[in-house]
Amino acid sequence: MVVTALKKEETNKNTVNHPSSPPKIIYFDSEKCTGCGLCRELCPFGLPTPNEEGKYHVLNLEACVECSACQRNCPVNAIRMTEQKGCGCLWDVRRQAANNKSGCC
Amino acid sequence: MSVTYMLKLEEEPETYEKFFTALTNSANKKVQNWILDRINPGMEVLEVGCGPGVLSCKISQKKAKILAYDKNLNMIMHAMKSLDPVFKDYIKFQMGSAIDLPEDLGKFDCIITTFMLSELRPLEQQIFLRYAWEHLKPDGRLIIADEFVPHGIARMWFSLKRLWYKRKLKRIRTGFTHPLKFILRYLEPIGFEIKAKDCWAHGSIRVFECQKKVDAQVGFYRPLPHPFRSIKARARAVRCLLTGQIDHIAIEPGIYQSGSPTRQSPIIVTTNYEYTYFKVMNDLKGIDAWVLCVDSNGINVWCSARGGNFGNTQLIEAVRATGIQHLVDHRLLILPQLAAGGISIPQLPQTFPFKIRFGPIWSKYLKSYLKTMPARKPEEMRVAKFNFEKRLEAGVTHATFLLRKFVLIPAILLTLAFGILFILNLFSLQPIYLQLLETVGWIFLSILITNMVIAMIFPLVDFTRSFVKKGFYLSAVSSLVSMVLFWVFFPSIMLSIANLIYSFWIGYFSTMSFSGYTMASSPREIKGEYPKFTKINKILIIVMLISIISIICIEIFTQV
Repeated sequence: MVVTALKKEETNKNTVNHPSSPPKIIYFDSEKCTGCGLCRELCPFGLPTPNEEGKYHVLNLEACVECSACQRNCPVNAIRMTEQKGCGCLWDVRRQAANNKSGCC
Repeated sequence: MSVTYMLKLEEEPETYEKFFTALTNSANKKVQNWILDRINPGMEVLEVGCGPGVLSCKISQKKAKILAYDKNLNMIMHAMKSLDPVFKDYIKFQMGSAIDLPEDLGKFDCIITTFMLSELRPLEQQIFLRYAWEHLKPDGRLIIADEFVPHGIARMWFSLKRLWYKRKLKRIRTGFTHPLKFILRYLEPIGFEIKAKDCWAHGSIRVFECQKKVDAQVGFYRPLPHPFRSIKARARAVRCLLTGQIDHIAIEPGIYQSGSPTRQSPIIVTTNYEYTYFKVMNDLKGIDAWVLCVDSNGINVWCSARGGNFGNTQLIEAVRATGIQHLVDHRLLILPQLAAGGISIPQLPQTFPFKIRFGPIWSKYLKSYLKTMPARKPEEMRVAKFNFEKRLEAGVTHATFLLRKFVLIPAILLTLAFGILFILNLFSLQPIYLQLLETVGWIFLSILITNMVIAMIFPLVDFTRSFVKKGFYLSAVSSLVSMVLFWVFFPSIMLSIANLIYSFWIGYFSTMSFSGYTMASSPREIKGEYPKFTKINKILIIVMLISIISIICIEIFTQV
């Protein structure tokens, strides 16, 4: 029982280690997930996909930009991730590096 | 004077009053006297945004009962310290924000707000005015004193000063206040009429005394219809396309109408960026719908949601200020899908009157979405694709952004300087002047070409997510294109090589800067790559400068 639960967690919890940035983690709690598919509707890249049991998970984690649209709107709060503010704009990052304050546009 | 600097002064309550008087050339003292003339003993007064409490204390000395609100705790602490103990019973301080004042404060004879409304955004101002209407006695007065844009020639001096202070504030990254522009438009529909007014400093500081209209209900302000099909509207849209998000071109937030909506028509929510509005309204052609423009400071949907300018706060504020629930029978808002990065449905308060559904990703699918309202949207309605058309638009926007940011002002100054030299040199066409014009023209053209090439072939480098690597591949291609074109104009081998090195740097820099234009770039990765990028960028600049200078030297020597 425990082993299968752990295995489940292993498959749902993907991490990508980008060489120059801290690891990206997004975790879908398959116990809580009801398979409503709202995350798939909201993701601008259509990343969350259902598995055989109808629970959602992200396979292509590389493409995630951590906009947290899925996490903040999940009705059962089944998604864990750290949100990254900003739209990945060089000038935003530059401003942050200069005076340590985020200011997107 | 520029009241915009007030935000910096507010950080230090002890010196606030002194500096603020200096900032306004003592106009604030005149404002206080003007208000005090209208206060009689025994009145019940509410002051919102009391600051260090100078006006509140003066009012309490007239034996009027005053309740003073400010959102800054330090200010209130300071005000309580400097309180005159004789009149302590007349005055009461509270901490609170102007838009979240408690509903059960009772009714007042007079509500005063000085230099506070310019800190609020348009919708917040409307919320405050409606609150004031509801909490005034039937013959009560609302007194507003604030900074306005002055009339006549003083306007130029005013805007220059404002620019100066804005630059100062930008350095310390404090927000700005905005001189009131539309407040007079709000007063009438919300249910006030102006009884008395006065102005100082060429109209840049004005005071209004307003009274409730007789036998009137509290109303809502509706912005005038904003044109979206005329040639002028199209020109404004093109301007947005050319400037991108450097200029936050905002329209008035509020309710707009597409067609002639009824009580059953859907409500489409969007932001108040001019281009977003233009797109949404044109895509809704032929459909009757309410369009609610949330105040996102004139930023598009994705960037405002990601940057914290379009979240639950702004949505709730827009619904509160416009009272859109009174216009329709249903309780459904349709939001753009890309707003999901800022909106959180589970965290909306219980009292929020609407249910929310996230609509299609691009507004061009709104029509087909509204017809069927599918629970599961088809793929093209929900997945962002950076297709050719969008890449071309982004390429133009990015090129003009770079040109405006770096090249435009130096180019104009250089051309002007050489123009003056040219006139002084007895109107003879100096070859150096022509060469300079050619160089400036080529710099403009090369940046445009590089960016268009990069935008067009961008998907070719999808095999890597690293923009540092993408930069090398894309700039290799774009610099080759640029060299071929250069060869057509100036068939010289040495200069072409110099151009190759120069356009390689332009291409590399442009690719990195292009990251903000693709939705698929992750802030975390860009942040991680930034130190590496600056290092490579510095090396490229040094290599470019050395090679170009040496090539020009060689050219000159061989000609001699």
